Amino acid sequence: MKFYYFHLMPYVMDHDEPSSWVTLSNRHYDPEIGHGLYHQYLDQLEYAEKLGWDGICVNEHHQNCYGTMPSPNVMAAMLVRRTSRAKIAILGNGLPLRENPLRIAEEIAMLDVVSRGRVISGFVRGIGAEYYSLGVNPTHSRERFYEAAELILRAWTETGPFPFDGKYYRYPFVNPWPRPLQKPHPPVWCPSQGSTETVEWAAKRRFPYLMVFTPVKRIAQIYGEYREACERHGYTASPYQLTVNLPIVVAENDAKAYAIARDNVLWVYNIGLRMKTPFYMPPGYLTEPSLRRVLANRPKPPTELTFEDLEEGGYIIVGSPATVRDKLRVFADELKAGIVCSGMNGGSHEKTLEMMELFAREVLPHFREDAHIDETAGVGR
Amino acid sequence: MPTPRELVVRGTAVHLHVEGSGPPLLYLHGAGAGGRWLTFQEQLARHFTVYAPSHPGHGGSPAAEWIEHISDLAFHYLDLLDELGLERAHLVGASLGGWIAAEIATMASPRLRSLVLIDPVGIKVEGWIYPFLFSMELPELVPMIFQKPDAALALAPKDDSIDTLAELFRQNAALARVGWNPYLYNPLLARRLPRIAAPTLLCWGEHDRLVPLQCAEAWAKSIPGAQLVTFPESGHVPHLEEAEAVAAAVVDFCRRQDGTR
Repeated sequence: MKFYYFHLMPYVMDHDEPSSWVTLSNRHYDPEIGHGLYHQYLDQLEYAEKLGWDGICVNEHHQNCYGTMPSPNVMAAMLVRRTSRAKIAILGNGLPLRENPLRIAEEIAMLDVVSRGRVISGFVRGIGAEYYSLGVNPTHSRERFYEAAELILRAWTETGPFPFDGKYYRYPFVNPWPRPLQKPHPPVWCPSQGSTETVEWAAKRRFPYLMVFTPVKRIAQIYGEYREACERHGYTASPYQLTVNLPIVVAENDAKAYAIARDNVLWVYNIGLRMKTPFYMPPGYLTEPSLRRVLANRPKPPTELTFEDLEEGGYIIVGSPATVRDKLRVFADELKAGIVCSGMNGGSHEKTLEMMELFAREVLPHFREDAHIDETAGVGR
Repeated sequence: MPTPRELVVRGTAVHLHVEGSGPPLLYLHGAGAGGRWLTFQEQLARHFTVYAPSHPGHGGSPAAEWIEHISDLAFHYLDLLDELGLERAHLVGASLGGWIAAEIATMASPRLRSLVLIDPVGIKVEGWIYPFLFSMELPELVPMIFQKPDAALALAPKDDSIDTLAELFRQNAALARVGWNPYLYNPLLARRLPRIAAPTLLCWGEHDRLVPLQCAEAWAKSIPGAQLVTFPESGHVPHLEEAEAVAAAVVDFCRRQDGTR
């Protein structure tokens, strides 16, 4: 199994406003504190490479305290020159959110060339709230996503210049310099929450599917649908196409781990993901069949999740090294997920580094059967 | 409530109420009011043959993927007039419906016996930015739209079933398709308003918080000869809040244009 260290880069704070997204006033953001946080978070990502993680991950979110990385490519650029071995997974760029997605093709190619082919390029639509923050029409989201993806993939793989004349994006000359180093292009991943359309789209193209912050039951269901779709497209999914993103808390014993998790992980769900209902589901963001599917089995909103819900539902992995190993075995053996992306939060920078060390010492070595395999070979393109 | 009719206009299904007798009057509803037959329409139907279609994706009309711009809706209703065989009709539109009606009037004033706009959105008014309804939940939405909260009951969803929620989502999506960004206006419309040659009445709620009275002045200045009537107890939807008074003003204005008064 492969392990990627994932960071949200949150600005952890308490507040009484109805939403941590879109409207939470940026007067709460203190750039002096932000300076310290960014450096700690980047240190953690760099340290993950040193400790043996296979990859490190950044992502994109806008106007919130949950994750302060509006430009994941900027963060990836900082990491590229400070690391030398780990994959750098950008999970991902919000394609429809860009007015000019050719810039994404260019930026990823730059990172790929500088990193000598270590970049993984996630393609996402962005969550509902981003459409409020950036003013992009959510009813165009899906079409823009597909069109921007096509543009970027063609820009990476076809010899330029060529014209591109889409519905949303039009260029007389597509001819980006540099071209990416990985052939035919950097692996593409699809972080998603399980919409039928995205599962199908990713499976068809052999793009790994990443389930983010989802209860384990639903992960099993969506993995099943993804595998079926791969079979329909005439191939069997590699384990490295099935990826999961969930927080891990490890400590010397279960009780300590639980206490740390209660203090630090719950914030992400109860406050970090607090938002007004319309921000979850902007008009037209979901197709009507997907909407009906969501309404028919409405999960508890993140703000109402208790620690027990997270633990029992398998949203998070918490425990002693032995417990964490057992729980990871479920992902490896039962769900057959090939890659686990997870962030850690020990409560402070130092305690987080200690937790990472404990994980690297007591957990990672038990999952190294596939250490010799390149998880990106033949996957994601 | 009249039995709804279904017809197909250039391949697009339309759900339509028709009621009354007299000269034809096309009524275009605002967002959230599709498929409703309310006191206001009832009153108009005493003097006119009222045609009240639901916009695509609203009320009983299915969503139409081809509608991507407000002018698509305007052409859709010109096609509907053709389909119904109405050479000339009175055109009354409220809010979103008012925006569509204004677009139609800039394209085809000769088809209109008169034009009535009730608190329309659709133009950018210097010094005003429309509050963003898409981010509001009911407790914010109701006081934004209604001066008389009781009037909101007329538009309350019938239950919280999946079908009803899906219908609300479909309506919001249909509105977002034409009105998310630019938000609730067409940047080209304001400079075209002087082309409107139909006699025009503007009806406005004095307490409209979405499209306040200062917007009414901009409309009145741009449309040649437009008359403005305001309603002192109304917010954004005077035809729901002071239905009888607004209907009386509209009937009076339209009948004058027909020479029947």
